[in-house]
Amino acid sequence: MMKDVSIGRYYQGDSILHRLDPRVKIVLCFLYMIVVFMMTSATGILATFIVVAFLCLLSAIPIGTILDSVRPIVFLLLFVLVLNILTIRTGNSILEWGIFKITDDGILKAGLMALRLFLLIVSTSILLTLTTTPLLMADSLESLFGPLKKIRVPVHEMAMMMSIALRFVPTLVEETDKIMKAQASRGAEYDTGNVFARAKGYVSVLVPLFVSAFKRAEELAIAMDARCYRGGEGRTKLHVLHMRGKDVFWLISLSCLAFLLILIDFYVKIR
Amino acid sequence: MDDKDIELHITEKILPDVLLEKVSFSYMHSETGSVAALSGVSLIIKRGTHAALLGRNGSGKSTMAKLINVLEMPQSGAVFVLGRNTGDDLSFWYIRRSCGMVFQNPDNQIVGTTVEEDVAFGPENLGVPSAEIRIRVDEALRYVGLSDLAKRQPSQLSGGQKQKLAIAGILAMQPQILLLDESTSMLDPVSRDEFLAVVDRLVKEKKMTVLHITHDMSEACLADYVYVLDHGKLAMSGTPGEIFSQVQKVRGLGLDVPVFAELAYEVSARLGIPMERQILFSRASALEGIRRMLSQVAEGTFSAVILSACPVALPSESRVVLEVSHLNHTYDKKSEPSLSDVSFSVNEGEIFAVIGHSGSGKTTLISHLNGLLRPKEGEIVIFPKEGAVPLNTRKNADVRQIRRTVGLLFQYPEYQLFEETVEKDIAFGPSKMGLSAEEIKLRVQESIVLVGLDETFLKRSPFELSGGQKRRVAFAGVVAMDPDILVLDEPAAGLDPTGRREILSYAEKLKKQGKTIIIVSHNMDEAARYADRILVLKHGKVCALTTPQELFSDRGTIRELGLVAPETVLCLTELQNEYPAINPCFFRVGEAADELIRAAATGGSL
Repeated sequence: MMKDVSIGRYYQGDSILHRLDPRVKIVLCFLYMIVVFMMTSATGILATFIVVAFLCLLSAIPIGTILDSVRPIVFLLLFVLVLNILTIRTGNSILEWGIFKITDDGILKAGLMALRLFLLIVSTSILLTLTTTPLLMADSLESLFGPLKKIRVPVHEMAMMMSIALRFVPTLVEETDKIMKAQASRGAEYDTGNVFARAKGYVSVLVPLFVSAFKRAEELAIAMDARCYRGGEGRTKLHVLHMRGKDVFWLISLSCLAFLLILIDFYVKIR
Repeated sequence: MDDKDIELHITEKILPDVLLEKVSFSYMHSETGSVAALSGVSLIIKRGTHAALLGRNGSGKSTMAKLINVLEMPQSGAVFVLGRNTGDDLSFWYIRRSCGMVFQNPDNQIVGTTVEEDVAFGPENLGVPSAEIRIRVDEALRYVGLSDLAKRQPSQLSGGQKQKLAIAGILAMQPQILLLDESTSMLDPVSRDEFLAVVDRLVKEKKMTVLHITHDMSEACLADYVYVLDHGKLAMSGTPGEIFSQVQKVRGLGLDVPVFAELAYEVSARLGIPMERQILFSRASALEGIRRMLSQVAEGTFSAVILSACPVALPSESRVVLEVSHLNHTYDKKSEPSLSDVSFSVNEGEIFAVIGHSGSGKTTLISHLNGLLRPKEGEIVIFPKEGAVPLNTRKNADVRQIRRTVGLLFQYPEYQLFEETVEKDIAFGPSKMGLSAEEIKLRVQESIVLVGLDETFLKRSPFELSGGQKRRVAFAGVVAMDPDILVLDEPAAGLDPTGRREILSYAEKLKKQGKTIIIVSHNMDEAARYADRILVLKHGKVCALTTPQELFSDRGTIRELGLVAPETVLCLTELQNEYPAINPCFFRVGEAADELIRAAATGGSL
C-alpha cells in the first residue's frame, strides 16, 4: 500500500533535540551552517566534528540512519575530494604522473573540504529534518518570519499552503497509483512500447491527475470557507510554540559552543 | 409549506432555524448563459428537526445547502438562518459559524496534517483561545469516537473515519445547524450506519437541526420531514410516510421509494386494496400494513389471482472462463495478508458478484484479474475462447492479451477521462489494440449507444459533462475494447437511484450479449437482484460462493458472515411468522409481492 508515505525524513523519537522548540532548532541550524563554512583550519574542523558528534548523541538516532542522510551526496563528496586532490599543487609532491601531481597538502585540504560538506549535511539533518516534523517546521517558519507580516509578506498564507501541500501529498500519491492502474487496464504503456506510446501513457495519467487536483483544490477552498477560514488575522492555534527554560538553556549553550568553535579556529590561524 | 404560513412566521417573529422565502438562484455559464438551480423555493426547518432533502443529480440540492451556509447568495427571495437574513453583512460570520457542513468527498474537506489539527482548524479560525481549542478538540473527538486516532495522519483513516472527523471538525465550532451534502454516498454500509448513528445522537442529545441531502431513500426515512426538489422547484414535502406513500409521484421525479414501501405498494396494487397513507415510513409500519392486507386475502375477502411461485432459476452450467486458484497476496511483510488462499472459477455469461466490507480484499482481488497485480503465490488462468490457449497472468507475454480479454472499470471511473473529446477518450483503449480506423469508429459508436448516450456527445469534451454522463463515457471506454470478461468495481456508487438502475441495466445488456460480468458491490439488494452467483470475501478469505437464493435462505449464515440480507428478504422473513409457507428468497419487489399473496392465499394465517 502507498498509504503510509512519509514526507521528509522525520525519525520518530523523544530525545532532547526532538523536544526542543523547532524555532530554536532552525536558528541553531543556520548558526552551525555558518560555523561550518567559516572553519578553515584542521583543528577547527576537527573540533566541529566533535561538537556535531555530540549533537548526534543528543538526538539518540542510530548512526546508520544519520549516515543514510548523507547518501544522496556521496557522489558530490567523492567529486570534491578527487577534484581537490588533483588540482591543489602546493606542498610536497607525493606522486607525479603526466600532468597529474598529488601533494600531501592537496590530500589534507581535500579531506578537510569533504569533511566540511559532510558536517554540513549531518548537522542540518540532526538539528532539523530528522528531529522535526514537516508540520512543525512550517509552523515555526511562520512564527520566525512573523515580523515580515508588517511589510505585507504573506507569511501565514505561505505556511498554510505548505501545510496543505504536506496534507495532500499522500492523497495525490494514492490517486496517481489508482489512475495509472485504470489507464493500464485500458492498454496505456509506461515502461513498454515505443517512446510515443510511453509519452501518451504518461499524458493519460497527468491530465486526469491535474483535473482532479484542481477539483480537489476547489472543493477544499469551499470546505475551508464553510469552516470560517479568513486568512491569518485573528487566528489562534491549537499548538502554540512556547519557549521554555530548557529551550533557552540549549539555545544559549549550543550558541556559545558555536562561538567557541569560531574562536578556536580564529586562534589557530593567528598563532 | 404555504406562503401564508411563512408570512405568519415572519410577522410573529418566531423564526425557525432555517427559512427560505421564494428563493431563486442561477449559475452563470460562459456559453449557455445563466442556468437556474433554484426557482421560487420556500421552506422551513424548525429547531431540532432532522430534515431530508431529496432530488436527482442537478436538482439544486447542494445549492440550497450553500445558500444556507452563505457560500452563495440568493438572487431573489431571502434566506433566514437562526432568525438572521443571510444578506445581512453583520450576520455573515454568525451564520457561517452556526452552520456546519459535511461534504461528499471525505478527502477534499480535511485541512489538517493530523486528525487533531484538522478538528482544531474551525476554532482556530474563530480565534478561540488555545486552551479552549484543546478542550473542544478532545470533546469533539470523543463524541464521534476518534480519540485514539488524534495524532494520526488523515490519509491513514478509512472513508468512514474521515467523515466522522469532518463532523468532529464542525462540532468543535459548536454550531446549531448541520448540513450534510451527500455525506454518506462514498461510504460502505457499515461506516454509513456508524455515521448516521452519530448524526442521530446530535439531533437527539444536542437538539441540532439537520438538513441531510441524500440519494438513499432508507436514510430519508430516518428524517422527521422530507423535501423533494425537482429542477430547482420544491416538488413534494411531508413526513417520510406521506412522501413515500405516493409511489408513482416519487418515481416520476426520478427517485425511488424504500423497498419496504414499494413492497406494500405492489401488494396493494395486486390486491386492489387502496393503500393506507402514513404507514410507509419504516419497515415495521409497512409490514403492519401488508399484514392487514394479507389477512383480508386469508379470510377470503379478496379472491386474489394466485400466481404460481417463480421457479428459482439456477444458472445452467457453462464453461469456465476465469479460474483463480490458491491466490495469496500481502502488500508488505509486516501487515496481514490481504488475500489468503482464494480459489474460485467464473462461468461464461454469468453475472458474478463479489461482496465484502471495506478492507476485505475486493480491490486487491480484482486488480489481479487483469494482471495489474501479478500473483506471487497461486495463479489466475483465463480461457478466452473455446479451445483457445489459456492465458496466465503470471506470464509476461500474456499480459497484453489479458488486458484485452478482461476489461476492468475501477470505482469512480470518471477520473480516468483525459482526452479532448469523448470520441477520442472512448477510442483510447481500442486504438491500443491495433484495430483499423473504421473498426475503432464502429466500436466507439456501438459503445456510446449502449451506455444510453447519443452520438452528439462524441464531439464534446468529457470535462463538460455531468458526473453521471462522465461515468457512462468511462464505462463505454472499457466496453469499446470488447472484452469477454468485464470487471466492474462499484459501478453505481454515488449515483442517484435512476442513474444506479441505468448503469446496472447496461451490465445486464452486456450479459445478454454473452459477456461475463464480475461486479464488486456493497449493496446487498443489488447484488442479490442482478447476480447469478455471489462470492463473499472476508479478511481476504472466501467465506461463501453460491447463488443468492441459497446464500440468503439461511439466516444463520448471513449473521455469521456479518452481512445484511436484502430488504425484500428481511420483509419476507418477518412475515414468515404469520405465513410460514413464504419462501423469503425473492429479490425483486414484484416477485416478492407475488410470493406474499400466494402464501397468504394458500397457506392461511396461523
